[in-house]
Amino acid sequence: MDKPSHLSVVVDLSPSQWHLCGQSSNSHPLPLSAFLSQLLAFLNAHIACNDENTLSVYGALPGKSILLYSSATAVPEEFTGPADPNTYRPFEVLDSTMMNSISDRVEALTDLEQEPPIGLVGALTKSLCYINRMSNASSTSTAAGGVQGPVVLPDPRILVVSVSPDESSSYIPIMNSIFSAQKLKVTIDVCKLYGPESVFLQQAAHLTGGSYIYLERPDALLQYLTMAFLPPPAVRQLLSVPTQDKVDFRAACFCHKNIVDIGFVCSVCLSIFCQPVPVCSTCRTKFPIKTLQRLNASKPAAPAPRTPAPTPPATSLPRSQSIGTPRSSMGNGLVAPSPSRNGTSLPPR
Amino acid sequence: MAAANPDEHGDVNSEASPHALLTFLQSQSQNTLSRLYQKPSSCLSIFRLLGPLDRQLVMNLLWLDSAIPASTMNAWVTREGRKPYEASLGILSRLHILPSSPVKLALNPTFKTSLRQAITGGGTSGSFGVPAGNDDKHTTPSVEKLDAYALERWETILHYMVSSGSGRYPAKPSQGVLLLLQRSGLMTSPHGAALQITSSGFQFLLYSPHTQLWELLLQYLHMAEERQMDLVEVLSFLFMLSTMELGREYSTEHLSGTQTAMLEDLRDYGIIWQRKASSRRFNPTRLATTLTSSAPPLPTTSGSGGTTQSQGFIVLETNYRIYAYTDNPLQIAILNLFITLKSRFPNLVVGAITRESVKKALANGITADQIISYLTTHAHPQMRRNKPLLPVTVQDQIRLWELEKNRVKSQEGYLYTAFASQADYEYVLDYAKKLDVVLWESAARRCFFGSLEGHANIRGFIERRTAGNV
Repeated sequence: MDKPSHLSVVVDLSPSQWHLCGQSSNSHPLPLSAFLSQLLAFLNAHIACNDENTLSVYGALPGKSILLYSSATAVPEEFTGPADPNTYRPFEVLDSTMMNSISDRVEALTDLEQEPPIGLVGALTKSLCYINRMSNASSTSTAAGGVQGPVVLPDPRILVVSVSPDESSSYIPIMNSIFSAQKLKVTIDVCKLYGPESVFLQQAAHLTGGSYIYLERPDALLQYLTMAFLPPPAVRQLLSVPTQDKVDFRAACFCHKNIVDIGFVCSVCLSIFCQPVPVCSTCRTKFPIKTLQRLNASKPAAPAPRTPAPTPPATSLPRSQSIGTPRSSMGNGLVAPSPSRNGTSLPPR
Repeated sequence: MAAANPDEHGDVNSEASPHALLTFLQSQSQNTLSRLYQKPSSCLSIFRLLGPLDRQLVMNLLWLDSAIPASTMNAWVTREGRKPYEASLGILSRLHILPSSPVKLALNPTFKTSLRQAITGGGTSGSFGVPAGNDDKHTTPSVEKLDAYALERWETILHYMVSSGSGRYPAKPSQGVLLLLQRSGLMTSPHGAALQITSSGFQFLLYSPHTQLWELLLQYLHMAEERQMDLVEVLSFLFMLSTMELGREYSTEHLSGTQTAMLEDLRDYGIIWQRKASSRRFNPTRLATTLTSSAPPLPTTSGSGGTTQSQGFIVLETNYRIYAYTDNPLQIAILNLFITLKSRFPNLVVGAITRESVKKALANGITADQIISYLTTHAHPQMRRNKPLLPVTVQDQIRLWELEKNRVKSQEGYLYTAFASQADYEYVLDYAKKLDVVLWESAARRCFFGSLEGHANIRGFIERRTAGNV
């Protein structure tokens, strides 16, 4: 038989967004309860595919993230009673654990005036940690006399089900998660149910080889999930899975957390700013005043007559480098972002 | 015979042979299968036995209410996926999961309803086993106890098989098991004498437990038809067992007559455990619950040595010596099939692969590949660091010894001799050579040997020629 695969699901449980999503004024409303029953059917289908398939589900709640279900933890005490003869046991345990933990958390939510930002990054990071722990656990047991060579958790995947708009303050942590996922060879799939297109999650799916799907018909969620997100990577080579035609590669600036079309990148640490700054806030590099003047003059908002060609927009981030870590100072100066960073950097003041 | 090497996890792209049971199911009538598909647990188990692509196709169609045009599904298939996709459609239609229609794709309605019910839960079928209520008198047996029971039963069967040739008879399995072994051709009793292991029996010993189990169960299914048992009842009970939970007690009250009769057989194979034959509750063992998964059905091997043996215990050196860290009589007996044992210690057996020992194994019908795959599967963790795992010299030598056996090849045919003249001989030989049927020729003796297929033509040719001369 074939190899088992691991799936981590990150569920966005923002109360306000789900309220909006379920409103009947939408063309295809999807209330939370209908969403959960379709999601559970999908999770059951994943377990049904192979007895050794593993699963973990993280919930992103306002201001926090929690583990809703993990197939690695032991069956809790309350399920040792008589089982339902009409339901496959693992499904029963999965469904009731999920529903119990969700209802516990939703009841515990306080009625605040303003909802704290959704804990999507926390949930994403936790599922990456989970995958890392599972892969490492199996390889350490090998070192202690196991059977096979280095056992890596086969085909780990993360599926993000999102309804909230992008939180621009979470740009840096999301990018860092993407880089860790690349390193762990984890595929991130994104299913966007409601709200505006998510720039960051589009990039996450694109950079890890996953697929990003914005549901036009959220009420047909289960069919989307089954066809696009159920097949493990090996099957996806045979049955194609929709991918994005165009990816929004815009980045968020470090100073105001705005998503920018054109940014200014520190030539030392690659921090991104929405306007030229005299001192880099990350690595404290000072930039020459002349460069600042020149860059200010070339800003697209006020096009200077002498600029020969507008600078190309910040299209992509360097993929192999993490953002926000200062590198050793080899040369400094503030440069306008362009595919090649040569020529525009100037000596420091 | 089942696939020889089920331990090798097939890549999706490779044409992995389908599970042995699927082949059996494909030979069943549509009526039988439709009745089988009424149980959600059966559908779930069959679904799990399918290949990865087959499963995805079933899932894609599962939640659709109406049939979709085949061209729509075709559009999803990549260029590399074309061939596996066609193969999957073939398997699914032979199982009657996908009624064969070239234009529209839709699941068999019975199968669809049952699989949906399996995944969403609910219904009143009770097909996942009715758990027994709490028993105040006895405590539920622990998982360890069930494992030990399953292992003991299973090893009794294998040990009986392996030692039948040697004249020593250890604990005898029950009459039902013996009949099954005999009917499956794994053992035979020449002239009514005691049972002797056959060459397919020797091959059987080297399979993985999962394959061994399914092979016996398949034979059981074949016998069930002869014993006037309802095949659907037998199959759904096996599938029900495979979806049960290890360490839980189930009640026999809701079983049909056929299924109650099966309890005794399954108890003998170690698939279920019962306190006593008349008990109204039973526990599935790990052999049962892993029927449709790739997890090892036997967790640890018995013997005082304990836990590491299931992970591999054989060290093979380039000088053909074998060190087997085991005290399990079954494993020693199986090794004894193809190595010469030199010395034995409390937890270690030392032997060597020799020409004689391998020849003996080959004479028993074991192939060189089976010996090599057995050694690979049971190699000691220390051996895993070697690349390749087994010394190449030893592997090659075992294969060469096998080739030695096949030095003489026999072929049926006719000898043409007593030609009147050299010209005649050459004329006929020329004709036979054109047909490519000459196996041997000798111009000095004016004779040649042609294969069986060519005889009619050559004969006709000679007759025509003789008639023409006259």
